Amino acid sequence: MIKNRVKELRARFDLTQGELAEKVGVTRQTIVALEKGSYTPSLLLAMNLGEVFGLPIEEIFSKEDD
Amino acid sequence: MGMYVAVFLRIMLFISTSLMVYDFLVIQQNFIKMERGFITEFSVYISPWPGYFFIGSALFFLIANIIQYIFVRRDKKSDIKAFMSFEYNVSDERAVVNTRKAVSIAFALLLVYSLLMIGSYLYIPNYFVDHIWFPLFTTASIPVFGLLVYLISYKILEYK
Repeated sequence: MIKNRVKELRARFDLTQGELAEKVGVTRQTIVALEKGSYTPSLLLAMNLGEVFGLPIEEIFSKEDD
Repeated sequence: MGMYVAVFLRIMLFISTSLMVYDFLVIQQNFIKMERGFITEFSVYISPWPGYFFIGSALFFLIANIIQYIFVRRDKKSDIKAFMSFEYNVSDERAVVNTRKAVSIAFALLLVYSLLMIGSYLYIPNYFVDHIWFPLFTTASIPVFGLLVYLISYKILEYK
């Protein structure tokens, strides 16, 4: 299971889901699914998110044991 | 373009093709009946409307596909490699993943549905003589069933 801090970081950067979606090249629904934890992104999307938040991937995503 | 429009147009294409073929099938069957001496004569009226319906559906489908292709080419988020026809959503990576999952579900259920349809021929072998529409429309119902399962699966996955 992959846990992420997208919701927290998005709030910190004062971005709406739509704005973040636009920046990383996906639809708003994908950001919604990411924040809910129901979607595991591709490496490319994870890297794009890292670029937007100025953080390495491992600080945004972490592995969670069941 | 909406998935509902895409699936609706595709279903219309299957239905219109079936309706168009149906008239032809009835005439062929009557000729066979006459050859075998079951009937001595027959008269038919072929309406041009199934043909118009087919041409209209095919044209709408083609135009919608071209428009969607242009939109997909312009949209940087889209995965152009995954574009086959406009009922497949390629608007972003999650949409592509969901499309693949929905296609898998539709394929699995299609196998079961096809088995049932083929099985239905076993129980009513004499039925086809008088009701020639049965094999035609059961065949047409297979892709229609697949499309509906695909649409429902995709929509469920989209809001999951």
